[in-house]
Amino acid sequence: MSAPHRFVLCLAMAGAGAALAGDKAVQESNDYYRRPLEQLLQVETQAKAAVGSRGGARDALDAEVPIDIITSAQLQSTGQPDLQRALAVLVPGFNAPRPSITDGTDHAPPFTLRGLSPDQVLVLVNGKRLHQSSLLHNNGTVGRGSSGVDLATIPLRAIERVEVLRDGAAAQYGSDAIAGIINIILKGYGQRSQATVTYGRTGEGDGITRQGTLFHTLPLAGDGFINLTAEWRDRGATNRAGPDASDGGRINTHFGDADTQDGLFALNAELPRGDATLYLHGLYDRRRSSAGAFYRTAGDARNIAAIYPDGFLPRIEPKILDFSATAGVRGVLDGGARWDISYTHGHNDYHFYVNNSLNTSLGLATPTSFDSGATRYTQQILNADFSKKIGRHTVAGGYEFRQEHYRIIKGDAASYMLGSADNFAYGAQGFPGFSPENAVSASRQAHSLYGDLKYSATERLMLDAAARAEHYSDFGSALNGKLALRYRATDDLLFRSSVSTGFRAPSLSQSHFSYTGTYRNSNDAAAQFWGNFAVDHPVARALGATDLKPEKSRHLTLGMVFQPSSQLTASADVFVTDIHDRILPTGYISAYSLSSLSPQAAAVLAQNNIDGAVYFTNAIGTRTRGVDLRLDYSREMDKGARLKLVAAYQRSRTRITELNQAPEVLGVNMTDLILDPFTRVLIEGSQPADAIKLWSRYSHGSYDLVLNLNRFGKFHSVSAYDRVTFSAKWTLDAELCLRLAKDVTLALGGVNLFDVRPDQWGQTDDSLVGAGKVIQYSQYAPFGYNGASYYLRLGVNF
Amino acid sequence: MRMVLWVLGLLCCVQAPWAWAGDEERKLEAVFIGRFASYIEWPAKPRDRFVITLLDDNPFGSLLDDLYRDKRIHNKPIELRYATRLEQVGETDALFITLTSSAARAAAIDYAQRNGILTISEAKGFAESGGIIQLDFIEQKARIKINHGAALKSGLRIGAPLLTIATVLRGDKP
Repeated sequence: MSAPHRFVLCLAMAGAGAALAGDKAVQESNDYYRRPLEQLLQVETQAKAAVGSRGGARDALDAEVPIDIITSAQLQSTGQPDLQRALAVLVPGFNAPRPSITDGTDHAPPFTLRGLSPDQVLVLVNGKRLHQSSLLHNNGTVGRGSSGVDLATIPLRAIERVEVLRDGAAAQYGSDAIAGIINIILKGYGQRSQATVTYGRTGEGDGITRQGTLFHTLPLAGDGFINLTAEWRDRGATNRAGPDASDGGRINTHFGDADTQDGLFALNAELPRGDATLYLHGLYDRRRSSAGAFYRTAGDARNIAAIYPDGFLPRIEPKILDFSATAGVRGVLDGGARWDISYTHGHNDYHFYVNNSLNTSLGLATPTSFDSGATRYTQQILNADFSKKIGRHTVAGGYEFRQEHYRIIKGDAASYMLGSADNFAYGAQGFPGFSPENAVSASRQAHSLYGDLKYSATERLMLDAAARAEHYSDFGSALNGKLALRYRATDDLLFRSSVSTGFRAPSLSQSHFSYTGTYRNSNDAAAQFWGNFAVDHPVARALGATDLKPEKSRHLTLGMVFQPSSQLTASADVFVTDIHDRILPTGYISAYSLSSLSPQAAAVLAQNNIDGAVYFTNAIGTRTRGVDLRLDYSREMDKGARLKLVAAYQRSRTRITELNQAPEVLGVNMTDLILDPFTRVLIEGSQPADAIKLWSRYSHGSYDLVLNLNRFGKFHSVSAYDRVTFSAKWTLDAELCLRLAKDVTLALGGVNLFDVRPDQWGQTDDSLVGAGKVIQYSQYAPFGYNGASYYLRLGVNF
Repeated sequence: MRMVLWVLGLLCCVQAPWAWAGDEERKLEAVFIGRFASYIEWPAKPRDRFVITLLDDNPFGSLLDDLYRDKRIHNKPIELRYATRLEQVGETDALFITLTSSAARAAAIDYAQRNGILTISEAKGFAESGGIIQLDFIEQKARIKINHGAALKSGLRIGAPLLTIATVLRGDKP
């Protein structure tokens, strides 16, 4: 066939297809027109998403970038007590392992998107940046060396929907939006008040969860509202520790979920006045939590038998205070231009307390409870946005000022000091306190200017160009851009693609975190120091540390959405994310751990009485490639029954592609300095390679039945420098929700109904970690290791 | 040459004026305008057509024309008009308002009340400020709010089937 003939044929097919599609939209409208009004009020429309657009919410499916919408009904049907765990069973690529015996991380575990780092996800609440936790994950967990947002600080029932933008968006939102954005929309106008109580426990009888939530809405004039949510959440500890052979085979350790109590409060309010609306939202969480460190047996050199004749399990029991508030005014001018001015204040105080412990070096004079100090992070943001529609096009822009403040507060003296009774076991056993040398108060400011142009070349072709220039007071400037294209080939087929650059500013915790310990050689009265030094500490500087640079990223996403009917939607997206200068902690820099350490560096250590040092540095580059598939199906059945199905698959793979030059003064290469097998596996293989989520709900007049099938892909860990593979697992959650009366529901549910556990470690030479030993499961297990759990939930609307 | 033909073909598709198939809110809004009207009684008017006017932006594309081409309301064929300013509205039975300014909406409501016109909008606070029917989409479902007093003031009688499925404002309390 010649080219002209092919063209004519193509044109005819396109025209016919488009005509059919156009007819279909009218046919569907005609179908609606024939239905009773009551039925029309039950039609579920496509979800809207505000994230990724400064021109207001639009159909998530019609967006130029891939966005998932998780509804409040989905969140509540998971049976999970908090947002982080709920998203882990609903969003493929959202990974939230449950590490244990990892100091502070037990109590505010990290989450990631697309196998990247916790600090490479931007979290927004009602479109405003939510602050990160002050906790730096400093153990061998997923997210080691990063500070992330603590999603458990948000009451689940205050949330209307969660928008997950699966693309880089730093050109619109600034730092951190590398793996994606999670935008949490709090319940707004038109809600009903609701009270719920939940009781649950695991199949083994532990992990008792008691939860009570009151959501109350007060309507105001002009469709304004004040929505208040108060929640009490008590999550009991679980324990999956095995027997300790060195302690007579008894189970003496805690390995499982922490025992955690949260008092949460959320506020969302809007007060419209003419063309302006005053808005206010806030979150508050006060948490008490308790988890164990490693057990010190009776004969352990760190124990004082006179105090603990049978040994002891130090309890790390932090008190966490987290709150944020945003106040602002938005409005519309006569010409249609929209404006929005807001101020956001966020704060996290992570205060470590250690109980049932001792400071061995103080002998019998030791206290058994300690204040080990705190980390604090405060963020303040002033933001001014505008947007204007000009015909089919939208122009938007704004200015943002952000100030951050990070502090380390020293603990009480007994929590960190090295007394005279022992040369090695200093400070509070379990979690030695921050010393006065670790205390820090650091701040920085950032100014940002940004612009966004949505250009609708035609009704089917839209281009979105965005740029954002930032200046940080610590590392300097960053300029990023984004170009996205959306093309509706036919009425039911949409193609989308985007290319962008992004960055992540080094967190203040990475630049300034300092946590050092001491010991004393028996022949040397001077204390020796070891631990993590801030990059501006003289010792770190002498060992080659420099100010941290931002991580820089490049993104490419290509995808399509196919919607053959309003009941069925399928989408597929492939993505590539390159990140340069990723920030990692170095390995332990000491003469005995790095055989080729330069004499000059060894001399620095010796002159400063340093046994060994760790600091953060821009170390590596990575490439993450993957694919996302989605399928949404809904069907109205006989007698008012409805079926909804959401199926999703994600596969992503991260590979280290670059190694930066190690500091010359050390005389070692970056592989030796940082990339030991543990760190390589942590970055490349510790998170599930793929995930399948299959959520379905069958609704009938008197009940809803929800089934949630999850496949958590295989992951890897390291034992004695060898990579160990843990196989993929399937779990099934189910909930039956009965409508006992018009406004009363009773839900009976099971999480991980078939009591699936992750693979155990095999045989190892480690005394604690391995099959049949104290720690039998990997910290990286993406669905924990509790096994099955069950719950009952009573809900009353009023 | 081949490239030019392909681009021309592409643009042919590109220029097609249909709305995105998945925009259920728009479809429902389009349908509700006519369905609401069928439950409302107007004072007798000498027009032989039922006139629906869209004031300000048209978010429907050609959907309203396509949907109402063969429909009748109160046994009258339907005429659709598109106005960008209030002065262009003229005589109409139903007015769907997409104005963003509250002052402009208030002026349109005032005009409608004086001329016995049904007003519909999805603007927040519309019913409280004297509009007759406010359409909301909350958690992906439509909700209807009716200011019954405003309807009576406009000389319109709203049928019970519509009132029973709506939130009805008596006075201007939320």
